[in-house]
Amino acid sequence: MQIQTPNSQLFKSYALAEHAITLEFGNEIDEHVAEKVSSFKALLNEYPFTGMLSLVPAYTTLSIFFDPLAVILNPSLEGIDCYEKVMNYLAQIEEKLSARKSTLQPDVLSIPVCYGNEHGPDLREVANHTNLSPSEVISMHSSAVYKVHMIGFTPGFAYLGGMADQLSTPRKKTPARAVAAGSVGIAGTQTGIYPIQSPGGWQIIGCTPLKLFEIERSAPALLKAGDVVKFESITIEEFNKLKRK
Amino acid sequence: MQVRIIKPGLLSTIQDLGRMAFLPDAVPRSGAMDSLACRIANIVLGNNENDAVIEFTYHGAELYAETDLLIAFSGEGATLTSNGIRIPNDRPVFAPAGTHLKLEQGTGCRSYLSISGGWDVPIVLGSRSTFLTAGFGGFHGRTLKEKDVLRNIPQENKQCRSLFNSLKSDTISFPSWSAPKEKFLSGIKNNVRVIPGKEFTRFSAESLIAFLSEPFAAGLRSNRMAYQLEGPPIIKNKFDELISTAVCPGTIQVSGDGKLMLLMADCQTTGGYPRIGQVIVCDLPVCAQLKPGDQIFFEEISRRQAEKLYLQQEQNLKELKAAVSWRI
Repeated sequence: MQIQTPNSQLFKSYALAEHAITLEFGNEIDEHVAEKVSSFKALLNEYPFTGMLSLVPAYTTLSIFFDPLAVILNPSLEGIDCYEKVMNYLAQIEEKLSARKSTLQPDVLSIPVCYGNEHGPDLREVANHTNLSPSEVISMHSSAVYKVHMIGFTPGFAYLGGMADQLSTPRKKTPARAVAAGSVGIAGTQTGIYPIQSPGGWQIIGCTPLKLFEIERSAPALLKAGDVVKFESITIEEFNKLKRK
Repeated sequence: MQVRIIKPGLLSTIQDLGRMAFLPDAVPRSGAMDSLACRIANIVLGNNENDAVIEFTYHGAELYAETDLLIAFSGEGATLTSNGIRIPNDRPVFAPAGTHLKLEQGTGCRSYLSISGGWDVPIVLGSRSTFLTAGFGGFHGRTLKEKDVLRNIPQENKQCRSLFNSLKSDTISFPSWSAPKEKFLSGIKNNVRVIPGKEFTRFSAESLIAFLSEPFAAGLRSNRMAYQLEGPPIIKNKFDELISTAVCPGTIQVSGDGKLMLLMADCQTTGGYPRIGQVIVCDLPVCAQLKPGDQIFFEEISRRQAEKLYLQQEQNLKELKAAVSWRI
């Protein structure tokens, strides 16, 4: 007997692996799609199924990693294989989604950044490319409000959307071998912060003294998908003072 | 129990079965590349299969037993020897204090040394695995070096003590039984089974035929993050850009110049390249043993077949655990 997997109005799905299913909430980078990803993630965190191991949100998708043995042995999930069992479970909890209140507006986190000089070696390059002065680049970059679209690349690396189109600058032709932890960069229309020292091709315009990723913290990554951030321009003295803390 | 590293070898790290809980923060899974070898090395000692093991890359490492040891060795990256005599894989081994262990040339790439109770390193973000890129986990977040001293977590479990007592002698000793790793593999050498990736149909028919019939060789630029595979170019029909989404060990991405990249244990959590296939969990240990130049062939199977093979493998390992506990 074949049990029909219900079709969701909210997402399409595919098997990423034997132990992972990806839900697609749209096909372009969009505020509403991101909202659907984070609300479904919150719903699943509230109502996890036995064997659920990890939820990985991205721009338009939410991927669910699970233990196939625990899922297949769970008699309360209907279906002849893990895929059907998980999809049927999702259909059950999807009904709860509409009953939930829309999530509260997240707080805006302010991130201090020392722009230019040794902390922002590519500020001049960005200024040249955009036909702006370095101080105009700084004031535009630090006046916008950004949304964390996705965490990827290295632990805690936040891809931020919301940068002024005028600041858009292509990646470097040759990636730098070591970009310092805390570096704030631009790549195309995106901006982001390097949490740990790593190689990278983004144009580095500044650096934050905050630790974006620290294993000693209970939540090691400072930012998560859906957060809202602003940049605040600080002097080198303030940078050094904050760094010592 | 305690060992001292005389020679660390090419790349030796502490690993377990990896960390899953921090994938949303882009912390890779990490863990033993050949998870099957890691599990067998632990199971034959009566350990928890997730206990920490040492992952060696190729041969060259040497260790000195500062106390009596109860250990097990699995994987094909090297053979374990002492005074030129080979110590067999996939079974418990008693080595008295003063034993000099040496890893000699093997046929594959990686091998694993477990110890009764597991190697004692702190749990970081839910796992004992080393993640070198960010420098955390395992032994101080780094590869093992000369003069490092590693200890086990003292094992009070009755089974382990009786195993230790039954093997204890003046020389290296081991039982005649073993749990050969090959018995848990498909048996078809160089055959790697895949389920079609999300973007499978975006590639040209010729490319798909080549993908499923031509050999692909592990490239020189292969490491714990990914293997670059050398083979016929794989051409996309559709050229639209993809939006980054989750990937995982086993994902085969196709780069802009038509090269295959097989993602491995330390891979990033998201990627934006089209995915032609996903290596099934059961066959990732085969990939973990590839050396540059080694060839593999991809065979397509369905998602449901892959799941059946996965569950069968878990059943086989469960039976192994029961058999081991009956023997020791």
